[in-house]
Amino acid sequence: MAVAEEITEAGAADAPRRGNVWRRRLLTHLAIFLAIVTLWETGVRAGWLDELFFPRPTDILVSFWRIYISQGNVWYHLYISLGLVLAGFVGGSLLGVGLGAIVGFNPLMRRFLQPYVIVLEATPRIAVAPLLIAILGFGAQSKISIIVLVCFFAPFINTLSGVVNVSPEKLELFRSLGVSKLQTLRKLVLPDAVPVIMAGERLAMTAALTGVLVAEFIQRDVGIGSLILTYTRNLNMASAFACIFTLTIIGFAIFKGMEIADKRIAFWNHEEGRERLSARRRRAFEAKGRA
Amino acid sequence: MKLAKIFAAGAVAAMVGTGGAASAQDLTTVNLINPLPRSTNFYPLVVAEALGYFADEGVEVNVLPSDTSIPYVAFLQNGQADVAMLDPVETLSAVAAGSEINTIYEVMQNAPEGIATPAGSDIDSIDDLEGTTVGLVSDRDRSFLQAALNTVGLSIDDVDTVVLGESGPTLAAAMRDGNVSAISGAAPDWIALMVNGIEVRMITPEELLASPANTFAVNADRVEELRDPMEGFLRAWSKGMYVSTFNVDAVAEMLRSAVPAEWENEEAGQLFLEMSIGMNVSTTERLGDLQRDVWTDLQPQYVEAGAIEQAIPVDEFLNDTYIDAANDFSRDEVEEDVEAWVAENM
Repeated sequence: MAVAEEITEAGAADAPRRGNVWRRRLLTHLAIFLAIVTLWETGVRAGWLDELFFPRPTDILVSFWRIYISQGNVWYHLYISLGLVLAGFVGGSLLGVGLGAIVGFNPLMRRFLQPYVIVLEATPRIAVAPLLIAILGFGAQSKISIIVLVCFFAPFINTLSGVVNVSPEKLELFRSLGVSKLQTLRKLVLPDAVPVIMAGERLAMTAALTGVLVAEFIQRDVGIGSLILTYTRNLNMASAFACIFTLTIIGFAIFKGMEIADKRIAFWNHEEGRERLSARRRRAFEAKGRA
Repeated sequence: MKLAKIFAAGAVAAMVGTGGAASAQDLTTVNLINPLPRSTNFYPLVVAEALGYFADEGVEVNVLPSDTSIPYVAFLQNGQADVAMLDPVETLSAVAAGSEINTIYEVMQNAPEGIATPAGSDIDSIDDLEGTTVGLVSDRDRSFLQAALNTVGLSIDDVDTVVLGESGPTLAAAMRDGNVSAISGAAPDWIALMVNGIEVRMITPEELLASPANTFAVNADRVEELRDPMEGFLRAWSKGMYVSTFNVDAVAEMLRSAVPAEWENEEAGQLFLEMSIGMNVSTTERLGDLQRDVWTDLQPQYVEAGAIEQAIPVDEFLNDTYIDAANDFSRDEVEEDVEAWVAENM
């Protein structure tokens, strides 16, 4: 029996076991979640928790229904906020990765630019948000700029360190073998740097959510941040929590999405990805042998 | 891929949807910078939009609601905003600092600002605040507190102040738990507390109650340039204000539709509207008229409180050039419009 087939069969045998483990984990998480919610509800009803700060979970559930279904006023705000998050994330990432690569590959640029970027990183970005709005004016452009600013640093620093921290011994080996610069980039630098860059992208994506809230708290026209402010100002805490939990769910989904993207893009950095690649190569090898 | 398209569409919508550019043909955009998005607090805007009055005047209003950390006057000067909603102390400070702005319309002639204490508190008047900690909803409220303390011969140094922020729970907890002796804020801040069972007692000095608030200001050198759109904008605003004098139910219905987040609790919405009507409906014969004597009388308080160095002649910044046009409309026609709207929507 071919090696690739053995592996495939072993994987198939493992599948039900994996499914059981996954179901057990899900049930455990569900039980923990329900326990927390029940405790919370009981705590508020018994007066242990201040309803001013902790609305009843059942009220939050009603608010979810209201803002998503019966009233449906959250959709437009979500649509605008997520659009801004995406635009800011893409802008910040392109700028961060691009500049990080330029600075990383060019020692002269690194010498002159790096200190300024680090000083800029040490500056609290949220504090300059009102200034950015004053400079760039109202509208999406200033909000996106705030998000770009918040998103930029993690991809920049990670790209820089990914490019700079390539093993000198390996570089020397590539040089002594007469490998071209492009091949060195493709076969050595990128495989080393991409996992680190992806870690930066994960941080940037979660930072983008914070960025959009900051932007919408300052410029309060539309968006989920503006809606949260309206609800908290009116002490409608159940609806404010429904919006906050919406952001939590979105944040979690984004984080998981970035994890999946990381596994796909930097697959060689994950065991599953390496296994998949090995199996594919074995299959190709077997096929070649049979031919 | 589909998701990416949706996000991309969202990004584009965000770019154009929240931008300042006019989108409708033949309408002139009036960029208004103020502290709140469309709200019950400024219902004339919502009512005039619902009845199509701005469009009738050939204008569309682009509201630029911003945190009070944003320097509103700077946006008038750099042209990003055509009209700014300013408190008297902001106007006076800006004029004193050399900004050439004109106050053109008084949105509220009864100050929404006030000083409140918990209903059962020992603090009965402004005098009792001496030596205590007073909460401020925002930094803008410091000047009002200064002026209030000044009416009884106290200064801001006689109290400790802490900025609490606009968050409802923080204000409610501070008021309920007695962390502060009083809070200097505005009507919407008290409404949320009252609706949630936290009783407050107002101790605002009488002499400050008649102060105009949330006035419209434009750059002095743009008064003529903006004449047409500004006259239309103010006339539509006045019409919106007028509607609340004869059909509150229609106003409430328009608000329920335009700002549902403020009307999830019907009682809160009604109370908010009731208080907002009290502040928004002009007490002068001409709607939004500029009260020269009131502006003159309130200045010594701000001088003594240190907000401005000396009184400023009101002719330097009060400009009623648009007021006649803002009132040039038929009350009967507005009543007919509302009747038609009610027949169609209620």
